[in-house]
Amino acid sequence: MTRLNTNQWLAVVLLAFSVLYLGFAWQVPAFPLPRPVDSDLFPKVLGFILAFLSVLLFFEKPAIQEASDEPEDATQQGPFWLSPWGRVVITSLAIAAYALLLVPLGFVLASTLLSVGLTLYYGYRRHSINLAASLSVVLGLYLLMTKVMDVYLPTGVLPF
Amino acid sequence: MEAFNNLMYGFGIALEPINIAYVFAGVFAGTIIGMLPGLGPISALALMIPITFSMEPSSGLILMAGVYYGAIFGGSTSSILLNAPGVAGTVATSFDGYPMAKKGLAGKALAIAAYSSFVGGTVSVIFLMLVAPLLSKVAVSFGPPEYFALMVLGLTAVVSLSDKSLVKGLIAAVIGVMISIVGIDLQTGTERFTFGSAHLLDGIDFLVVALGIFALAEVFYMLLRGGGGKEAPRNAIGSLKLSRPEMREIAGPVGRSSVLGFFTGVLPGAGATIGSFLGYSMEKRIAKDGDTFGQGNIKGVAAPEAANNAACTGSFVPLLTLGVPGSGTTAVLLGALLVMGINPGPMMIEQRPDVFWGVVASMYIGNIFLLVLNLPLIPLIAKILDLPRPLLLSMILIFCMIGVYGLSFSVFDLLLLLGFGLIGLGMRLFGFPAAPLILALILGDLMEESMRRALQISGGDWGIFLEKPISLALLAVALFSLSAPVIKKRLKREVIDT
Repeated sequence: MTRLNTNQWLAVVLLAFSVLYLGFAWQVPAFPLPRPVDSDLFPKVLGFILAFLSVLLFFEKPAIQEASDEPEDATQQGPFWLSPWGRVVITSLAIAAYALLLVPLGFVLASTLLSVGLTLYYGYRRHSINLAASLSVVLGLYLLMTKVMDVYLPTGVLPF
Repeated sequence: MEAFNNLMYGFGIALEPINIAYVFAGVFAGTIIGMLPGLGPISALALMIPITFSMEPSSGLILMAGVYYGAIFGGSTSSILLNAPGVAGTVATSFDGYPMAKKGLAGKALAIAAYSSFVGGTVSVIFLMLVAPLLSKVAVSFGPPEYFALMVLGLTAVVSLSDKSLVKGLIAAVIGVMISIVGIDLQTGTERFTFGSAHLLDGIDFLVVALGIFALAEVFYMLLRGGGGKEAPRNAIGSLKLSRPEMREIAGPVGRSSVLGFFTGVLPGAGATIGSFLGYSMEKRIAKDGDTFGQGNIKGVAAPEAANNAACTGSFVPLLTLGVPGSGTTAVLLGALLVMGINPGPMMIEQRPDVFWGVVASMYIGNIFLLVLNLPLIPLIAKILDLPRPLLLSMILIFCMIGVYGLSFSVFDLLLLLGFGLIGLGMRLFGFPAAPLILALILGDLMEESMRRALQISGGDWGIFLEKPISLALLAVALFSLSAPVIKKRLKREVIDT
């Protein structure tokens, strides 16, 4: 059996998604009064178009990836958390943690922690500059949003 | 005369001290963001939306227009200094700009870029002023079938003119429309794809998607490339002065490319990238020293720069007169306008002349600021390229977060932002263009509404889209536009070969 290429894998995933989507589109409730077009028509059309495009994608030859699009040090050795994909995973987790801690900790504290922590994690070792730059940007944004634009940002454990 | 009076009215708005400050801030911020490789005008505009949210709509749009201009000019700076275009529209600038920089003439190349952008922008604003009111008068007669067809054309044009696969572009557009219909259907009150979550009842905010797919995905991509890729060696800037013969030499290319760029920009989907390539290719053919293009010819910098700035202004025509953006960037602008409570369309010039003419006038002012303030500041602004990449990545993340949270105050939206960031990364790695998705997301609602209204008028008969001559013509052009990738490939090959 021949191996599927990237486009074919993507096509299979997208086809499965379109089938699932169509399933949900059929569950959209009908409007009590008869109408020429109900809420379910557009999603159904979209689901079928996506399924059709998935089939086209299956037969499309994958483009040769340009050298510049290739992650540069994807093959770098070392612990996972320092690898390129490790950095994406850790950053994603940090963003998720930030989202959950934003209200309890407050904008200034949570954002400063995120900025200083990630900058350090990405390998920047000049700690005083890191802290000063992060704090000034976060405080600047906080003051701009709360004092100039009257947008409320959570204060959390700090008094401001 | 009427246009002149209206323009004076616009200047009255744009020259208010606060609006001058916004133009300057927009042009300055746009230049800085546009200069950073990877962060183009779409990211720049998306990052600015939370700031414009509480502003007067005319001021907000004035700021955004400044950001747009600035980002395009900033992209030219990194094209010339680093051979790393921050924006697709400035790729052609790097063909001759970077060789000039390598010869120690970076300052001259930057000055040519600034002068050409100024002329391109100014000429096209004059055209915008003349063409937009005419087009809006025609568009007043558009009904739902015509609007639906126009939006289909806008989408297919953007898809077909993107650099990636046509099928992948269409898939991105379909997914964009799918995202747009999440939430309560306003016509029937029916919930669609909310999965019982109250957070999804109002749908998914376009800013969450735009910041996720563009800015956050770019951060992830830079991380995959080892924290932002290798620092490119930056060439010294040198003198910014141009001699009179040099000015005379670039006058013709700048004039021609400005006109060409404007009309390219008006076409849905074409925009700055195509405009700059066309301008470059036209001058290469016309020039007696065409064989020196690619080796640091000043006309090779002037032509694409004039064309791309003119195209940027041109792309405002369909946005402001029809309410249909012709590119990913103007789609984000449309989103920003909707957030501010403005519905662009044929009636906007009549109903909100302050917004329309204020923006037109601010474009003149923005162009002057680009030239008078940004150019001398370029050696200083270019230092942003020396900012440590880890610090820069963290700052972009903070901007994304505050952008989303400041608009919706929803932790759920922050998690959605993360999700779209990862989707954007996947799209980038697998060659799916992001612009069609964002355009489709913005147009999805309007498209469905127009389609349903048209079908209600016809009693469910789909033939209505083919019976109306304008709608039929627009759909035929949409179908034809899908053959554009072949033409575009040929054009690119010619630019490289000749």
